Amino acid sequence: MVNSNTSALGIVFPNSYDVLVPDLVNVRLMASIPFASRYRLIDFILSSMAHCDIDNIAVMVNNNYHSLMDHLGSGREWDLVRKNGGLHIFPPFVEKGVKPYTGRVGAVASILGFLRNQKEKYVVLTDTNIVVNFDFNALIEAHIESGADVTMAYNEQEIPAGMMKIEESGLTYYYTLGIEDGRVSQIYVNSQKTGIQNLSMNMFVLEREKLIEMINTASVRGQIYFERDVLMPQLNKLNIRAYKYDGYVARICDMKSYFDENMKLLDDHNLDALFSGKQIYTKIRDDNPTRYIEGAKVQNVMVADGCVIEGEVEDSILFRGVKVAKGAKVKNCILMQDTVIEAGADVEYLVMDKNVTVSAGKSMRGTDTFPVYIGKHQTV
Amino acid sequence: MAKEMIAMLLAGGQGSRLYALTEKLAKPAVPFGGKYRIIDFPLSNCVNSGIDTVGILTQYQPLVLNEYIGNGQPWDLDRLYGGVHVLPPYQKASGSDWYKGTANAIYQNISFIERYDPEYVIILSGDQICKQDYSDFLKFHKEKNAEFSVAVMEVPWEEASRFGLMVADGDDRITEFQEKPKNPKSNLASMGIYIFNWDILKKYLEEDEADPNSENDFGNNIIPNLLRDNRRMYAYHFDGYWKDVGTISSLWEANMEILDPEHSGINLFDEDWKIYSRNSGMTGHKISAGALVENSMITDGCRVKGEVKHSILFAGVRVEEGAVVEDAVVMGGTVIKSGAVVKHCIVAENVTVGENAVVGAMPTEEEKGVATIGEGVTIGDNAKVGPKAMVRKNVEGGGEEW
Repeated sequence: MVNSNTSALGIVFPNSYDVLVPDLVNVRLMASIPFASRYRLIDFILSSMAHCDIDNIAVMVNNNYHSLMDHLGSGREWDLVRKNGGLHIFPPFVEKGVKPYTGRVGAVASILGFLRNQKEKYVVLTDTNIVVNFDFNALIEAHIESGADVTMAYNEQEIPAGMMKIEESGLTYYYTLGIEDGRVSQIYVNSQKTGIQNLSMNMFVLEREKLIEMINTASVRGQIYFERDVLMPQLNKLNIRAYKYDGYVARICDMKSYFDENMKLLDDHNLDALFSGKQIYTKIRDDNPTRYIEGAKVQNVMVADGCVIEGEVEDSILFRGVKVAKGAKVKNCILMQDTVIEAGADVEYLVMDKNVTVSAGKSMRGTDTFPVYIGKHQTV
Repeated sequence: MAKEMIAMLLAGGQGSRLYALTEKLAKPAVPFGGKYRIIDFPLSNCVNSGIDTVGILTQYQPLVLNEYIGNGQPWDLDRLYGGVHVLPPYQKASGSDWYKGTANAIYQNISFIERYDPEYVIILSGDQICKQDYSDFLKFHKEKNAEFSVAVMEVPWEEASRFGLMVADGDDRITEFQEKPKNPKSNLASMGIYIFNWDILKKYLEEDEADPNSENDFGNNIIPNLLRDNRRMYAYHFDGYWKDVGTISSLWEANMEILDPEHSGINLFDEDWKIYSRNSGMTGHKISAGALVENSMITDGCRVKGEVKHSILFAGVRVEEGAVVEDAVVMGGTVIKSGAVVKHCIVAENVTVGENAVVGAMPTEEEKGVATIGEGVTIGDNAKVGPKAMVRKNVEGGGEEW
């Protein structure tokens, strides 16, 4: 039931920051990038929302979204099959002479009709390149208590190197916040400052009616980016509050951070910090348990179900259905679903996409600062 | 719209020979093979064989089983017409009855079966580990123009007298049934899986119900009655993996056999015949630096810091530093604390084995047995549980249980 005073609906932007990980989104989008041995990035957001009774969610797919559609299905695994609400996937609407949108404003503008017909009082907006076990209710409560027009979540950390590089490419934006007494007094675009910053998590909560009004106006003016074009010019006019998040945050902003954030979960403290809260749901594959055959040697690994390990694996993350044959050696690797490492092969510092095969006896190496990526369905 | 064949799954057995494991749950709900429960096998077989309507007959401790089955979605058995239905005994205007026997359980649900107007009914049992294509069985039944067929396994002659045996002629037509005979005339053991023409089954169920002296059992009453009337009864030979896991030792053995699919014939890594289950949803398992894992099956959510050899760990098991697990079946959520030694045993769900405690032992000439620890039990630090023990209650620190 929608409780009209506190309920919120969710709007998710699964293509945000695609440009930062061109290899990984070659066959997918940010939201469906595999993470932490059996999840996709969007699982963290959807599960967090589902646990906070946000069960009316719009996913604004824009580009390369077949893998995400396949992953989400009807939304059952996240308990999002509902008579009222549930999961809505909105593809872009394109016709002759009309280009698909590029920013949040255009995305939300394309579903204003939908938004007008909903009953929830609040809306939560979020990207998917951020891995969190997030309590949206705490964010909404803080928003209601402060009486703000918009509340945005941030965490205190250094700006990741992968984001700093955006300045050069100019392809997209990230935001840091100046905060006075909990109110956002400044929003900096693509800051190059070193040291701890108030880094925006690009998660917002505001009233649905307010969002409709803001987007309507912005859309008429041809504005594109919500933060840059809508919030920044209105910092004095609007009461925009900052909500500090102290929990575990992993940001995917280039191949290096993708590699590092996966590997960080080999440390139990990090794994517990991310997963000890509410359960993270994902698509079920009905794999059997992982089998370690005589001769297997494993040290410091995270392995999903459905693997068969006969060789040596060290400091690595294995997704579902990976096979490591006899005499093969795997070190510091991320092996996505159904990767096969044949007998005697020797690999180190690699990120292998789904269904990669490394032939018998072959050897391949990246380095700790530059993990080498191998595309889906490739045979080495 | 009529269904060609529906399945009735007998899941009411208490499984008293599983002792501590079935105190709080029915035998078909007993966990098996790392992430399954026994009932996943017949249910998955049904779906994989194209049977979309299954009645599950429950009676003993149905709570866990009911919750596990839910709406049947994990097995793709949430259907608009058909699907999976849990059928406990119920009260009628003329009084109520527990299920008095296997045949009576089906008898009491005749109206359920008739809703689907099936031509055939397959009777399954909820205490076997087996991957079987029931559509092959049905094909055989039709080809023989049979009224009743039973799936049989060839067993070694010296063991034949432990089973219910079908004596069949060269055309597989059954001529005699021997229940655990001293002098077996056949080595074809009944697997307890039957296909009936529904009209025949209904007729014999009604006749059986009217007989006050009947035990209302398929093996003891229905099959002998069919034979008496010279019905067209056939034996269908099945030569795949089949195991009745009704005892502690056979349950332990069957678990160990999935560690050796090349020889045992039970392969869970078969994309074409998946066994479905309700998943734990935990993260991938972790093997720490310094841990040792040999020849084992490990499920999502486990954390292994100690040694695990030739064992099966279910979802979320923790093996702390210096702990040793060997030849063991350790069910979901159990914690084995540092220095504990757990060997040749079955440890049920959510057990805590304290520091330096010892559970079970490798079999020797004098003493062999599969130690069993019941669900939720705590074994105190430095406690000792002997290889034949059946532990249902907490064992205090330093205590012993034999």
